Amino acid sequence: MQSNNNVERVGGARVASPYVASTAKKRKKKWNWALFFFVLPGFIIYSVFFAGPTVAALFLSFTDWNGIAPTFNYVGFSNYTNMLTDDPIFVQSLGNNLKFTLGVLIFQTVLSLFFAMLLVKNTKANIFYRAVYFFPTIVASVSVAFVWTFMYDPNIGVINNILSAVGLESLAKSWLGDRNIAIYSLAFVQFWAHTGQMLIIFVAGLHAIPKELYEAAEIEGASKWQTFKSITWPLLAPSATIVVAYTTIQSFKAFDLVIAMTGGGPSYATEILSTFLYHEAFINFRFGYASAAAVIFMIIIAIVTVLQFRLLKSNDVKF
Amino acid sequence: MKKQMLLLMMVVLLMGSVLAGCGNTDETGGAESGDAKTINFLHWRGEDTEAFNAIIEKFEEENPDINVEMNALPSDSYIANASATLLSGKGADVFASFPGSQFEALQESGAYVELGDQAFIDRFSENMLGAGQKDGKQLAVPYQLVYNIPVYNKGVFDELGIEPPKDWDGFLEVSQTLKDNGYDPILFAGDVSPSQFINPMVMNNQPSDEAFAKLETGDEKLTNDWFVKTLSQIKELNDKGYFQKDPLGTKKEGAAALFAQEKGAMLALGSYMMATVAEQNPDIEQGLLSPITVSEDEMKYEGIHTSTFMLGVNSKSEHQKEALKFIEFLTKPEIASEYANATGQLLTVKDVEYDSPELTETAAWLDKKTLFQPRYTLSKEQVSKAIETAIQDVLSGVEPEEAAKKAQEEVDRAIK
Repeated sequence: MQSNNNVERVGGARVASPYVASTAKKRKKKWNWALFFFVLPGFIIYSVFFAGPTVAALFLSFTDWNGIAPTFNYVGFSNYTNMLTDDPIFVQSLGNNLKFTLGVLIFQTVLSLFFAMLLVKNTKANIFYRAVYFFPTIVASVSVAFVWTFMYDPNIGVINNILSAVGLESLAKSWLGDRNIAIYSLAFVQFWAHTGQMLIIFVAGLHAIPKELYEAAEIEGASKWQTFKSITWPLLAPSATIVVAYTTIQSFKAFDLVIAMTGGGPSYATEILSTFLYHEAFINFRFGYASAAAVIFMIIIAIVTVLQFRLLKSNDVKF
Repeated sequence: MKKQMLLLMMVVLLMGSVLAGCGNTDETGGAESGDAKTINFLHWRGEDTEAFNAIIEKFEEENPDINVEMNALPSDSYIANASATLLSGKGADVFASFPGSQFEALQESGAYVELGDQAFIDRFSENMLGAGQKDGKQLAVPYQLVYNIPVYNKGVFDELGIEPPKDWDGFLEVSQTLKDNGYDPILFAGDVSPSQFINPMVMNNQPSDEAFAKLETGDEKLTNDWFVKTLSQIKELNDKGYFQKDPLGTKKEGAAALFAQEKGAMLALGSYMMATVAEQNPDIEQGLLSPITVSEDEMKYEGIHTSTFMLGVNSKSEHQKEALKFIEFLTKPEIASEYANATGQLLTVKDVEYDSPELTETAAWLDKKTLFQPRYTLSKEQVSKAIETAIQDVLSGVEPEEAAKKAQEEVDRAIK
């Protein structure tokens, strides 16, 4: 058959290949230019908008460029060594980022799973509630920040006013002004804004679990907790992997919410890595230093993501 | 196969033309229609767009061979977005910049054309031009003038029979009277006030126009008495409850709203808030006052001013002559008056006629002895941030000496 020229057998499956076997005896490989053109647009976009800036950031991280001047000096690894050994703000930003990410990760994963289990059945009410929970996801984060900043305001904000009105004045806090709780106040807004998104992923994952397994468990007399532990959670592992990885990356990269609500203050209590590198690049005019921060930031996210994938992959169940 | 290749080629060509279209915007943006030349005006005051449009219309009528295209970027990310445009020479023939570290960074990169020999320089109050000078050269002209001292509610002061205080004891006494009468004496915005309130607080504790600048040369330290005293006075105001509840958690908009609602008597921001407050409460009568941190006879400065919105011509512009013509037009007293009254901004241009009570009140400060905002004498933003953080630390309960020490460590790192 003529079309056999363009296919190879891999693991028993017939797949398209860029290489063509001309004869059975002599397998001469030829480059198929048509397939190259298929890849080209994506390759160009990836190179211009991702690979290029990444390489540029790596290069700039070894310079003292201020972001404006036409010239700069090479400074070797000094940006990295200064940042890791003599920059308490960078260390504080990293610590804040971990607190923020961990807070969001735990609450967002647990609660989105909880709500997903409550709303898994496709009833009209459940579909309505899913839409309601998803709504904050589609609101621009700057709008979310604006609304929550007013809600958190200690004098005119609705949260403290409600707490005072119901006699819980002692619980009224300086939500964004207290250095000890400001980062958690921001984490709560991030959690509020994105839980609906994760809920939808979990609902999709729950729908993919075969009903027969639950029926078998019921016949065997398994309790709800046993059913969850032995069926739901293991079979939800792929969805959980996506939720955990996505939440982690999203929380590490949270920027607009923090900039709009606190700008990293008070006293750097809410400065996270993304705002740190923004301040270094565009406020302090230390573009080289900020590039070094960006490289470290990228490495941290890559390590955390790989670890998470490996950890959660080990829980995968095939059926 | 041929069909497939043809389709692919078409897709690639289409994508190529889309990308090429994206890359061509600069050329079309700077295109000339007929003999008219187009200059680009870049700034951050989106709220002034209407006023500028009216002025640009008049300019184009007077100069039919010049078109002006205006682009207003957000102020908080202005330099981040504007720097590439400025360096390319396309997209910004006339541009505004902030004084201080931003001006320093731009002048270091050679972004400005020297304006010293332009006739319009004489239209400015001479003592307001310093912010745009470097090594004896006038690189930019500050167009707007703000006073970075608290705004106060004149009606409340009159009602309680109190006058703006003239020394530190008087300031404490006035604050106590206000508190006793149910007002928050000072409304402090946690996000902005630390960088504003520090200026009048420090101006007489270390009465020098180089106090902050010397931090960058190492000739002054934040652990010196004058700065620790300033922090201690801020702590005293906080400990005595003269700031509203939770000053660090209150944002600029929240503090301004409380002031407009007349729940507080002084707003620790600056004259630039007066128009906003007047919009929220047209009946409020506003004035400016400074916290004088020493005795009356020791006082050297009455307040703080900042000449800002510094207009410059891009050294890479191909239309420098036209750009200079536009700045000359903006500095005509009648045009400057139109802009000032339409936007509520006080200007550095002489002979401007103001028509609002807020501007008239602010203009009265032109005759007072004021100091250029010390924060803007710093070329390194890290030093400015260290000072701001020291205030936030004190308001969070850190002792002044400890906060000053921590801030000095940050300064040492910045100037290393």
